Amino acid sequence: MMKKKKWYSRYTGIRNRGINPQGFHVSQIKFYVILVPLAVFMLLPIIFIFSNAFKPPDELFAFPPRFFVVNPTTKNFTDLFAKLSTSGIPVSRYLFNSIAITIVTVLASILVSSMAAYALSKKRFKLKKTLFAINNVALMFVPIAVTIPRFLVIERLNLLNTFWVHILPVLAMPVGLFLLKQFIDSIPDEVLEAAQIDGASDWWIYWRIILPMIRPALATIAILTFQAAWNNADISTLYINDESLRTLAFYLSTLTATTTATTTANTVAGQGIAAAAALIMFLPNLIIFIFLQRQVMSTMSYSGLK
Amino acid sequence: MTGYSPRREISLRTREALHGYGFILIWVVGFLLFTLLPLIETFRYSLNQVTVTTANINLNFVEWANYTRALFTDPNFIELLIGYTIETLVSVPIVLIFAMIIAMFLNLKFKFKGLFRVIFFLPIVITSGPVIKELTAQGAAAVPGIGNIPAVIEFLEQLPRALRTPVEYLLTSFILILWFSGVQILIYLASLQKVDRSIYEAAAIDGASSWATFWKIILPSLSTATVVNAIYTIVSLSHFSENKVIRYIYDRTYDVQGGIGYASAMAFIYFGVMIILLTIVYLFLRQWARRGTN
Repeated sequence: MMKKKKWYSRYTGIRNRGINPQGFHVSQIKFYVILVPLAVFMLLPIIFIFSNAFKPPDELFAFPPRFFVVNPTTKNFTDLFAKLSTSGIPVSRYLFNSIAITIVTVLASILVSSMAAYALSKKRFKLKKTLFAINNVALMFVPIAVTIPRFLVIERLNLLNTFWVHILPVLAMPVGLFLLKQFIDSIPDEVLEAAQIDGASDWWIYWRIILPMIRPALATIAILTFQAAWNNADISTLYINDESLRTLAFYLSTLTATTTATTTANTVAGQGIAAAAALIMFLPNLIIFIFLQRQVMSTMSYSGLK
Repeated sequence: MTGYSPRREISLRTREALHGYGFILIWVVGFLLFTLLPLIETFRYSLNQVTVTTANINLNFVEWANYTRALFTDPNFIELLIGYTIETLVSVPIVLIFAMIIAMFLNLKFKFKGLFRVIFFLPIVITSGPVIKELTAQGAAAVPGIGNIPAVIEFLEQLPRALRTPVEYLLTSFILILWFSGVQILIYLASLQKVDRSIYEAAAIDGASSWATFWKIILPSLSTATVVNAIYTIVSLSHFSENKVIRYIYDRTYDVQGGIGYASAMAFIYFGVMIILLTIVYLFLRQWARRGTN
């Protein structure tokens, strides 16, 4: 292990206090002793969802439930794909809807929330405090309770059975605004003032200074929005009658729901299909996470903010 | 806060305000239409007996009857609410402390730090979406069999009644609580990194122990992040799709008799309890943050 020795480390032993160690050192072993078991706990759900999808029926219903698969089988997947090929509307249609809706939702909601967060954090206008307070209150309200009034609004706006009903209602996400505002708050005003003095416009400041500086927060919101959009089956159930406008999440949920509801003989196969479907729905989440986590982690370490 | 002095012309301030409104306009429109308007409408429903027919929705004004029914007649709702309150009050400190400790570890320099950061951020894809549904359905979110170990049962029986539920909840859902800490770790890490390294060095040169450094430097600099994290934790726990109160409200919504009005009233009561919880946690933390900085 290469160690760059700072001049003071010889005198005060700062490095060994764990305040500023460089590279590996024996004193770091205690970190691993604590972190490794906890990290395993964090990984368990992921391992579980993979192993569950490959379990044969007798293991899925085993009591007490088993964590790892013993005799892995791909039968759940073949069952699932057999079901898919019998559906009236090609699965690719649902898949396309889901992908299109998710991409538009993630990009649009990041843009809308970050613009609003910038205004709430750095601009001065009358309603600023009130708007943020209202947002914080709305943050706490249970989304389920507003479903029916929301339906009426959507009906009046003639948005029922359109592509946009998937996107518009979720754009103003209170959690996103809340988190983004907190991150923008920590950008010092001096940075923006310097840009203003150099003649930068508001849009330029937002696009070139604010957005790059809050990239970790943006990536976090992107992951959260992605999941909300990708896994959303409710909108397809509530606001859409046209089968060709529904999403993959909805389709897979009906698939598993109908198989579990009919007969007890079918529940066994239904559980397997559900486990396989859950894995398929989960994979894009994991991929997006792996793809975006670099944004979250790398920029954080040298964002230039003190 | 852009530091204009009051001498400047009023037009400049108006222009700034206009730009502010411009940036926030789309969000406000979306928020009004799809959140605030439905919210007000829901409040109206909560004061009515609501019957849905195929043609339209009939309202029959009943004043606060839905609320009194939820609070005094319904045998389940209050119990669920109390359970939720206890769970939240137990979970929030654990999530915060756990996230803080992990964030401090991850802020140190050691090998595979990047990998660990990714792993501890992973819960963000676990607690929402299909994974947690599968897990809770399979009972895997609990520590397997810990509730059945004789020693644990004996231990729980010796506790006073008021303490038994929180401790039991803690033992059985410990892993679940930890999975709620992904974003919180990130927020802590972000504000830890804003602390100037030279402050630590100065403290070390002055002979401060790591313990003193933690209490005098790290903890005060994390106070804002703690408030943010506490709010975020309460909100995400309360909106968690497997939350029992939410399940109950959801089931009641589609009841035949006045379901929507009644469910709306329960949603508002739940909302009220959440706000009270948030206020308590907020005031408590602010007090603590003040003492930390003095």
